[in-house]
Amino acid sequence: MFRSRVLLFFSGVCLNDWKILFDKELLQQCFKSVMNRKRALISDTFKVNKRRVGNEKQFGAVNNGEAGPLDVKATLQDLMTLFPRKLFNDALPQIVLKHQLYSIHNDRTQVDRQLSDLREQGELLMFQLGFDAEAFGLVFAADYKAKVLAGEEGRGTRGTVDKFLEKVLPSCKDLSFNKEKMLKEFLFTDSEITQLVKSGVLTVRDAGSWWLSIPNSGRFTKYLIQGRKAVLGMVKKSKYNEVLKAELEERQTNSQVKFQIKYHIHDIIGAELVECIPTTSGTVLRCVDY
Amino acid sequence: MLSGGADGVIVVYDLENNSRKPQYTCKAVCTVGRSSQYVHRFSVETVQWYPHDTGMFVSSSFDKTMKVWDTETLKPAEVFQFEGNVYCHHMSPIARKHSLIAVGTKDQKVQLCDLKSGSRIQVLQGHRGEVLSVRWSPRYEHILATASTDSRVLVWDVRRASGSLFSLDQHNGDKSKASSEAVNTAHNGRVNGLCFTVDGLYLLTTGTDDRMRLWNSANGKNTLVNYGKVSNESRKGLKITVSRSCSPEFVFVPCGSSVAVYTLHTGELVTMLRGHYNNVDCCQFHPDYQELYSGGKDCNILAWVPVVRPPDVEEEGTAAKGGSQATVNPAFEDAWSSDED
Repeated sequence: MFRSRVLLFFSGVCLNDWKILFDKELLQQCFKSVMNRKRALISDTFKVNKRRVGNEKQFGAVNNGEAGPLDVKATLQDLMTLFPRKLFNDALPQIVLKHQLYSIHNDRTQVDRQLSDLREQGELLMFQLGFDAEAFGLVFAADYKAKVLAGEEGRGTRGTVDKFLEKVLPSCKDLSFNKEKMLKEFLFTDSEITQLVKSGVLTVRDAGSWWLSIPNSGRFTKYLIQGRKAVLGMVKKSKYNEVLKAELEERQTNSQVKFQIKYHIHDIIGAELVECIPTTSGTVLRCVDY
Repeated sequence: MLSGGADGVIVVYDLENNSRKPQYTCKAVCTVGRSSQYVHRFSVETVQWYPHDTGMFVSSSFDKTMKVWDTETLKPAEVFQFEGNVYCHHMSPIARKHSLIAVGTKDQKVQLCDLKSGSRIQVLQGHRGEVLSVRWSPRYEHILATASTDSRVLVWDVRRASGSLFSLDQHNGDKSKASSEAVNTAHNGRVNGLCFTVDGLYLLTTGTDDRMRLWNSANGKNTLVNYGKVSNESRKGLKITVSRSCSPEFVFVPCGSSVAVYTLHTGELVTMLRGHYNNVDCCQFHPDYQELYSGGKDCNILAWVPVVRPPDVEEEGTAAKGGSQATVNPAFEDAWSSDED
């Protein structure tokens, strides 16, 4: 009985293109782990999963098998539809997180390049969301302008915000601005800068520098973190800490999750908080215990 | 192959596979064991052969010494003493005009020791934290890169008396991207792995912010290749390696208890090599055998051998790709039952 188990385990490991050559000590350890039922399962030690959907890929080729050439703009528009506009009474523009794109396209470097092209052209704006050094929010420039101006309707700060949007946004692709730049390059006065901070277009980064931001996005960040925690909790509570992606999408969400669950799923896959494993029954999401 | 262990023992292995069996053990040719009076007292962190022949090798360890050994007699010809734990050292593989060993220790200064005279010649000041990794460029014998816990990677020309040439900046000078503390840093955490590509044109760095970055070594620009999350929890240096004479080039990074293989220039994760029981600390690629060797906390060194792909066969009326069965070297053929049971 033990012998057959060892046979299966060896053949399972040799699925990969790289073969492992064992030495005597390693073989002895394998037998030890088989005999000792109370310890970890062999599959845990070697992380042997169900058979992968193997495919011989051409490494290094710039190729996204499913949809032809990589189109980040179309993906962005698809993801934007997942954003819940009604939740914020239409006051916020549709925000997508940069790492959500990584969950759809495999080639991260290409995604990054196309994003920087779109930003250069002035179509897309990127924001530092603040809760994570690597979490960036993406908003279409036209959307952003429209929502900000709509929010400023009837307020005293409207003129300054208008000036900011006209002057600064088209020319400057930065995420943050420091005092020197604001005063000298863009000729804003101190009081104007205070007005911009008040209106929410700039948030304080540290003494004398500010992040570009989306007004009223505090609630968005709060709900995002809340929902992310809840969805990760759902994956953790499952048996073996893993769940089929299709099944997770169908699940009922509790009151903590305010966004569509698909939005959160793209978020946790892209941020690599869960591992994506292709299996014969579909993609499995497994919690990463780091 | 030279290897150093956490118990201070240094072993030299013969990598040749003379048996025709799929499983073989590499024999140890010679050992500096616990019984030797010259053995290191604590963990050996870095070992390196003398670049020009195997008559000599250098090892550095947490017992604050670096020893230059004679392979024949296994006695140290020279011992360098330091004030702090030695994390790593490196000798330039192409140097003709100098025989300097760069040493990174717990101290913030990078020391350069001369092999010919046996003295400490130079000190490079510039880091504000422990120096976890040092590497000479394989292209220019005077260029040295050093990585430290202060999140910075500095590139030096040892001929210059003044400080470093430049520091690697992950945002490429775009000060707006990061919070103000993270300006001019290579990583958002400790930088513990450094590796030049074989032609010396690019430099790879890994850090405890779980990122790996590829830099242009001439101007220090971040090439912005995105490898995703490269999990890294090592408090000491990590030894990463790149392949040689492969197309495309691969980079092998120890990631937890497996070794991750990425394509160098596109950042694609090719595969994870699983075989170790505990954390993997180091890996090294043999250019002639095209094999990868990895060592880890489970006291094992594993050899990873690539399976040879069949030549593409042109057949009329069918697809150009060859059959699904890879033709395997008879020495590596096994008699286990097939997968489909």
